[in-house]
Amino acid sequence: VTRRLLAALAMAGAAIAADSSPTVRLPPHTRQSHANGVVLLLAPLAGVPMMTAQLTIRGGSESDPSGMAGLAALTAELLRSGTSKRSADQISQEFDSIGATLTTTASREAIFIRSDFLSRDTDKLIELFSDLYAHPAFPEQEFNKTLARRIDEARAAKDEMQLALASYFPSFFFPPQHPYARPMNGDELSLTKIKREDVVAYHKRMFVGKNLIVAVSGDFDSKALTSRLGKLPFLPGGQGFQGAKEIAPVKFEGSRLALIDKPDATQTYFSISQPGIERTNPDRVPMMLVNTLFGERFTSMLNEELRVNTGLTYGARSQVDRDRLTGAIAINTYTKSDSTVEAIDLALEVLKRLSEKGISEEQLASSKAYVKGLYPTQRLETDTQIATLLTELELFGLNAGEVDDLFSAIDAVTLPKANEVARRYYRSDNLQFLLIGNATAIREKVSKYAQKMKVIPGKDPGFVVPEF
Amino acid sequence: MRLFWVFLATGFAIPLFGQQFTVSASTLSNGMKVLVHEDHRIPSVAMYFFFKVGSRNERPGTTGVSHFFEHMMFNGAKKYGPKQFDVQMEKNGGRNNASTGPDLTTYTDWFPATALELMFDMESDRIRDLAFDPKIVESERGVVYSERRTAIDNNPFGVLFEQLTAAAFVAHPYHWPVVGWASDIESWTMDDLKAHFKMGYAPNNCVLVITGDVTQEQVQSLARKYLEPIPRQEGPPPVRTKEPEQLGERRVVIERPTELPIVGVAYHVPPTNHADEPALDLLAAVLSNGRTSRLYKRLVDDGQLATEVNMFNQPSLDPGLLFAILQVRQGVDPGKVEKAMFEEVDRVAHDGVTTAELSKARNQRLVALYENFKTIAGKADLIGTYEVYYGDYRKLMTAAQDLEKVTAADVQRVAAKYLSAKNRTVATLISGPEPSKESAGKESSQ
Repeated sequence: VTRRLLAALAMAGAAIAADSSPTVRLPPHTRQSHANGVVLLLAPLAGVPMMTAQLTIRGGSESDPSGMAGLAALTAELLRSGTSKRSADQISQEFDSIGATLTTTASREAIFIRSDFLSRDTDKLIELFSDLYAHPAFPEQEFNKTLARRIDEARAAKDEMQLALASYFPSFFFPPQHPYARPMNGDELSLTKIKREDVVAYHKRMFVGKNLIVAVSGDFDSKALTSRLGKLPFLPGGQGFQGAKEIAPVKFEGSRLALIDKPDATQTYFSISQPGIERTNPDRVPMMLVNTLFGERFTSMLNEELRVNTGLTYGARSQVDRDRLTGAIAINTYTKSDSTVEAIDLALEVLKRLSEKGISEEQLASSKAYVKGLYPTQRLETDTQIATLLTELELFGLNAGEVDDLFSAIDAVTLPKANEVARRYYRSDNLQFLLIGNATAIREKVSKYAQKMKVIPGKDPGFVVPEF
Repeated sequence: MRLFWVFLATGFAIPLFGQQFTVSASTLSNGMKVLVHEDHRIPSVAMYFFFKVGSRNERPGTTGVSHFFEHMMFNGAKKYGPKQFDVQMEKNGGRNNASTGPDLTTYTDWFPATALELMFDMESDRIRDLAFDPKIVESERGVVYSERRTAIDNNPFGVLFEQLTAAAFVAHPYHWPVVGWASDIESWTMDDLKAHFKMGYAPNNCVLVITGDVTQEQVQSLARKYLEPIPRQEGPPPVRTKEPEQLGERRVVIERPTELPIVGVAYHVPPTNHADEPALDLLAAVLSNGRTSRLYKRLVDDGQLATEVNMFNQPSLDPGLLFAILQVRQGVDPGKVEKAMFEEVDRVAHDGVTTAELSKARNQRLVALYENFKTIAGKADLIGTYEVYYGDYRKLMTAAQDLEKVTAADVQRVAAKYLSAKNRTVATLISGPEPSKESAGKESSQ
């Protein structure tokens, strides 16, 4: 039982107090670009005799074909289901026997295959990883098993309300044709449509040199590893993935409310959202400072009102998507069914206050110190954090300045700039409400929030919010 | 007040993966133990307070009070009033959390090295002079209730875990949930809170661990200045009740709306400092850690009976439980899943484990241990956990060797000894009607 579910989830960031060492730097690393397009990032870090290797394949859920949400994530997991030389069992056996982890995840932009292992097992890991990404066999039987399990997992996700809210969100917030309009891991509707051939074709198309980023960090000798990796038969160059261009960022003409009915719920989980920014937006630093104050730390405006002052919830936060295309700014929290309206009213009041009154000089200074103070432990302390950070820069086409100049960019944010950002992005009109809770108890009371409202039975298959 | 610093051990260093891992230990005159590990790679500090008080020190009627108290510790003291702990901390670039378990209440602070003195000042203020404002108590009651509602009442795993634990322990205080029964959350009185504070937050009942960009001398002088003046108190009385031996399998069925059924099994096992602990740890790894573990292979992969299986053993000061939690696949009879699991457990007890399995389990645990050494937070946690549960942080230095010493015969022996039908409690959560009302009684309104 912990005090802050929030703190663990919050990304936050922050670092060194303003009066001490006033900067952070991206750790020493090398970047090599191979002829076939593969980018190799190496960042040695002495200490614990372990290493992290992360393979990133551009694409992610953005590259899922229409109607096949979850294909990228499924393909990532199936890499371990067998290669031309190894069975699924053998692969697991070889990782497990040396205590190496193997995880596969998907984001909107990419899929990630990561292993944490003891440095002494480097050769073994290189051999295994090469086999996995280049020669997967996707055996039929393993495909069927994995797919069936993932379908059941998607069903079980409906029992965890926070997870369910996040899973319904994409189809609620983004228009149907938008690449972000589908759940990252798919749902029972989309997964049942996927055939083994789809996975094979996806791998063939996406696992090419131009889409691959390899990041290694940890305790190793850079020279030796560079020469070892340089000799690898990486993939053919192929066609690099080009995500859909952002023709028009997501925009709403009016307010909408979708209520997912869960008759057994004693709580309501809700999200109040509006369009935000894309990862490379020039406003990203002031936005980070404003959002920290609004809903990304314990003393944030939202948490202060909804938790500290009123005890309405265990935690309230505001989340800003940081993806390739414009995403959402979303207030997320939950409360007991009876206090649903009270909590939503209060959240809206806090939002209005930020938008109309802005923040103070003192608040801005506090946010700057907070973001800088936590930055080293959140992004630069471990091999895994460093590999993740280097990959992220590569993925979004950002340079070392993103880290090296971060503190000076933070210092340069003036109060008028911060307040301009607060006014522009944190608006009180055209808000989008997504709720999960007991519809019988709350539907009438919450109808006042939006011009259009829909109630969707939670029992309906999939994470689908039909068009309004 | 006499101020002196007793050195129990200074610069105790062991070679850990080829490097010196140094912890300096000392005890303040009021009995608080202070452990320091310097790490200057990043300009940050982790400061962890381990108070040896938790739900095992509660009684019926006040269950959950330790956890409630953990919340109250952030609500104002003498020098730093309500909200100030968080406000000051965040504006100085720090972040905190706290957690409560059956045995311990832990406060965790992460901050830039420049905020070290501020943290000593704020921590000593609340440990010594916490405020008890009735209005804040009522508001915080709502927050804790919300936490219970989220973690247990609206979460099938939470409900299962609570019911399973309550059935496995009939006498020992591990019987009740850390967050407290709903009716107790509604009923704590101010006197309950004050009594709990006096008992649990005695400096002599606390271990402080600091890791990161500090020097041992800096910490010493700040600890003398801020923490040593806090007077010694009588700590919590010993927990007298011992759980009687279980005389046969126990069963619980929970009916509530759920997409997939869940099966939970709990076996009584000895406390963390028991000699069988490393063998039990490796046994759990052989059974459920990774895709080649026996239960994953049988239940998730080959049998297609469960979506996941997880076996874990929480550290405990008194004899505790080894849990197995299985999420049942759609359309599968939970009884079938259970039976398959018991067959696998019995197979270890009868035929033992292979050398390869043992070596795999060791490597997995070693990697998990090393993971913790990557961060100052991980190291603070390890040092404190070993100090509290083994009574000596130096036990951490032999953790890897202790795993080395375990033989395949040990694993088989502990499987036969502890994972028997007679020693287990089985809880099954199946789909049923929604509960008629929230947990118990009315809820306090804000």
